[in-house]
Amino acid sequence: MNNKLVINYTPGPTMLHKLTGFTKVFLFLVMSAAIISTFDIRLLVPLLIINLIEIISMKPDYKPIVVMFTITFFTVTVVGNIMLFFVSPGVGLTNVGAEHVIWRLNEKLYISKEFLWYIFVFFIKRTASFASVIAFALATTPSEFASGLNKCGLNYKICTIVSLAYRTIPDIASDFINIRNSMMMRGVELSKKASIGKRLKNTVLILVPLIFTAFGKVGNIANAMDLRGYGKHKKRTWYAEHELTRWDPVIRGLTILLLGLTLYYIIRYRIIDPYPVDYWCPWVAREEIEQVSSIDTLFIIKWIKNLRGE
Amino acid sequence: METKGLGKSIVGVWSTRTIVAVAIGAALFGVLMNYGGIPVFTNTSLTTAMIVPVVVGAMYGALPAAVAAGVGNVIADLIGGWGLWFDWSVGNLVAGCFVGLGAYMLMRKFDAKNVIVYIVLVVLGNGLAFGVVTPILTAIFYGSELNVTFIQAIWGSLSNILVEAVIGIPVIYMLAKRTSARTNLEEE
Repeated sequence: MNNKLVINYTPGPTMLHKLTGFTKVFLFLVMSAAIISTFDIRLLVPLLIINLIEIISMKPDYKPIVVMFTITFFTVTVVGNIMLFFVSPGVGLTNVGAEHVIWRLNEKLYISKEFLWYIFVFFIKRTASFASVIAFALATTPSEFASGLNKCGLNYKICTIVSLAYRTIPDIASDFINIRNSMMMRGVELSKKASIGKRLKNTVLILVPLIFTAFGKVGNIANAMDLRGYGKHKKRTWYAEHELTRWDPVIRGLTILLLGLTLYYIIRYRIIDPYPVDYWCPWVAREEIEQVSSIDTLFIIKWIKNLRGE
Repeated sequence: METKGLGKSIVGVWSTRTIVAVAIGAALFGVLMNYGGIPVFTNTSLTTAMIVPVVVGAMYGALPAAVAAGVGNVIADLIGGWGLWFDWSVGNLVAGCFVGLGAYMLMRKFDAKNVIVYIVLVVLGNGLAFGVVTPILTAIFYGSELNVTFIQAIWGSLSNILVEAVIGIPVIYMLAKRTSARTNLEEE
């Protein structure tokens, strides 16, 4: 299980690894904001490519990343889009602003070109978000993460929570596996062979020892921290925060540029002169866009309207 | 006295112990979110991660429970490979606050009245968090299809409520029994 995790505990050799924690956290936060702010494929693709270059430049072990991506692809993208097709095939109209039906099963279920476009753009957006998280997780150790967050102005106690949590994950994951395996050896059934009620009851049998093992460590760790004077002062310094490397000012400068562009984009194209719909699409001209409020397509509102006989 | 007790149960006690417990709670949340699902049908599972705010809340109060759930969800996103979806993290933070408050009260006095208060808070918290907060944030920031978000939110709330009620109440009972047994030992 631990080889499935993409967490980096030792500082690596490449340029991105060597940056200070603040630079990495700042870049990650701005990158996330940029990806969240737009649905325009002309911006999402460059953002995705930047993150892919970051990942490639760190020469990581690709196996866990590919495994993770494949699992998410099937559980979220494939299943999610099949669900989307059955729940609201008209999503192309509300988000892209037009409807060219290419295949129709009946009155309610059909596929339009815009539906496929919506799926595609949303997939790119999701992948860009995935890539930015992986790039950050590969480059940053828990201590650098905490020191970077602290430099962003977050209270250092919250930063300690983040770094400690991040650091204890492999321990807790292996505790979990050990307890589950030993319970299964004793004949506690968790698979589909048992009924749902039985599975719930058996899960309690695993959770209770897991909770007591995990929280049993609290006393030891807290005492060790108290003995070293943790929490006495209003501020603290970070072992992981080192002097700036040659590349730090460059990356910080580029990040500020990205922040500026994101703010400009949000103000110019989403507040002052918003595009009529969220998703830009190459074959739908701006003048032809039909605006449909996505609130009207909510099934709850449709039910209420049906009940009132409208 | 009453308001002071309520204030304490919401904010919690922020000692080094609390910080470590919240951190371990967040890590446990991340692990359970990724590996601790109870399979129900194909591709749907009950997540057991929501037991974490119950335990942290029972021991330290509502705000620590909320932080454990919120940070835990961010960590789960980081190790799970979904990308960062902070709409759900904020939803879990809100739900964790309500659940933690209920668990804290139930832990102090385990009786029928507090069990009902706990269940009401669990239902209220999940409804508010995943029925209102998460869909609004999703609609504003991520532009996902609202119908799908609502279906996921309803399913998520129902499974959380089930886990928090069916697994949470016995766990709080065991925790309460364990701590009271310990205090008896110390008094001797």
